[in-house]
Amino acid sequence: MRNYETFSTTADSGIRFQGGDFRELYGNALRALNLLLFGRNPRRGAGGEAVTFRFRGDGPENVLVNFLAAVLELAYRDGRRVSAVDFRHAGRRRLEARLQLAPRRGSPRVEVKSVTYHNLRVSEKNGVLRAAVVLDV
Amino acid sequence: MSSAPRRFEEVAAGRWRLARGAERGMDADAEVFASPAILQAAQDDASIEQVVNVACLPGLVGSSLAMPDIHYGYGFCIGGVAAFAAAAGIVLPGGVGYDINCGVRLLASSIPAVELGPVRERIGHGILQRIPTGLTPRANYKLNKKEFQRVLANGAREIVRNFAGEAGDLEFIEADGCLPFDQPGVIGPKACERGSSQLGTLGSGNHFIELQEVVEIYDPAAARLFGLETGRIAVMIHTGSRGFGHQVASDYIETFRKRNLARLKLRDPQLVHAAIHSAEGRNYLQALNAASNFAWANRQLLQEDVLAILEEALGAGRDKLGLRLVYDQAHNIAKFESHEVGGRPTDLLVHRKGATRALPPGHADIPAKYRAAGQPVLIPGSMGSSSYVLRGTASAASAGTFFTSAHGAGRRLSRHQAVKLAAQTDVRERMEKRGVLVCSLSSQGLKEEIPEAYKDIDDVVRVTVASGISEKVARLRPLLVVKG
Repeated sequence: MRNYETFSTTADSGIRFQGGDFRELYGNALRALNLLLFGRNPRRGAGGEAVTFRFRGDGPENVLVNFLAAVLELAYRDGRRVSAVDFRHAGRRRLEARLQLAPRRGSPRVEVKSVTYHNLRVSEKNGVLRAAVVLDV
Repeated sequence: MSSAPRRFEEVAAGRWRLARGAERGMDADAEVFASPAILQAAQDDASIEQVVNVACLPGLVGSSLAMPDIHYGYGFCIGGVAAFAAAAGIVLPGGVGYDINCGVRLLASSIPAVELGPVRERIGHGILQRIPTGLTPRANYKLNKKEFQRVLANGAREIVRNFAGEAGDLEFIEADGCLPFDQPGVIGPKACERGSSQLGTLGSGNHFIELQEVVEIYDPAAARLFGLETGRIAVMIHTGSRGFGHQVASDYIETFRKRNLARLKLRDPQLVHAAIHSAEGRNYLQALNAASNFAWANRQLLQEDVLAILEEALGAGRDKLGLRLVYDQAHNIAKFESHEVGGRPTDLLVHRKGATRALPPGHADIPAKYRAAGQPVLIPGSMGSSSYVLRGTASAASAGTFFTSAHGAGRRLSRHQAVKLAAQTDVRERMEKRGVLVCSLSSQGLKEEIPEAYKDIDDVVRVTVASGISEKVARLRPLLVVKG
């Protein structure tokens, strides 16, 4: 498996990702979502603006869903792509990060309406954390 | 995606059962209404696994059911039905889906299909110009806080009262287009923000507005009651509660997780639930009603926009064009209903996710005009295939479906597979050759929705009829398709 990729179910889409620790796992989750929303080569440009994301939940699945939902909100409500992320804290139950925003340039190519918990479980094997998130499109 | 195939037994024509206890935790039967081919496809895409997961939920009344358009969803399969006792059962957002009260509205007319030809393109472009579709942030109706709350409380009634439309329409909407909602505090700010700018928008994906021609009548008496006549134009609208419903669902899944997840043994975390009478259960049901009302208001507004375009293009008013609402029904919803269980009327909370209520003739909840025929059941096909109007039957009582039917063709291919298949295709040109004008702002979206992406609607309807859960009334073919 690649560090992050997209996949399809019959009615919806999903993202699959892995990482050596939670920082990598959440970072690759963002990269996978960006791949789905904006494709392989999104328009680049110096941004400057950034927002802080803070969440404390009941586990990594809860953190992932809320993190990805926040990225979607920025994409659809504000037309912003999160181009980079600076993790202040990335753990099982807590995530605090500074999300760097790319300038407004076009909207996502697909409409992802919600992040689901369908069969979502962060697993660990040989020191690698893995997860797959199904998205409602 | 696949799981080990289960051995279902055909207990009646088109009705397949996996008996309770077949797997650990299965306290109820799992039943699928399907042809052998549909059942095999459901085994292959793992939607059967989802039917089994629901059969493991506590307090399920009757069976975990799947309709003939079954396909893989999240939590529940699409086409899934589950009922729980209103007095002591559970409610689960995963049994409704995110697009709360996604549904279909059908209008009949006396416009001869041949008259559409010269103005078809104008109407298509008119719809695209007037009605926000796809990812566009444009909104025609920007509501202030008070107006928005009134829409949540009154649903389609609010539109008829303060925007446009006729009060006579309300009778022909499931639940008269309004479910009880009087607690604004149960709706989160994000949901209000997403919803207040999306009223009167179509959305993307499989949502559409179609002009269709009635091409075949199977049940002349019912068709007459529904106002459907061969060779005449009909209008079909498919959309739901937009971002508002999605946010309500997301918010309550989070709430249910916080309160209940740790003590639940779930096969899939998307099936997180709460007792109907718990605080979070009651709040979710209120919010669900608000989102349902939003969706009915949305379809009412879209209807009025489409009618205005038709009136302008055809140079006549709606009365002269014979335009009238046949029916509007939800296919993602949970509602309190009374059904006979073990020979006794029982109050249930029936969850339908990608499934349609199909009440039998004589039922008090059907418009008086249709009572002799049964409830209209609207089953849209793909942009290149027929749609059907069916009606509810009395014989469905013995099928234990809580009077439920299919809701569409059901997807067969993923969006990715569909796009790949259509890579070298000009979808608009291909549809034009079939006599269908397709209008959309999204070429990618059209490729995702090619006819091959869906099951054979004729097969779905055949099984639906053969299993006795609905009867055919009319077949319609698309002439103009506007996709989000």
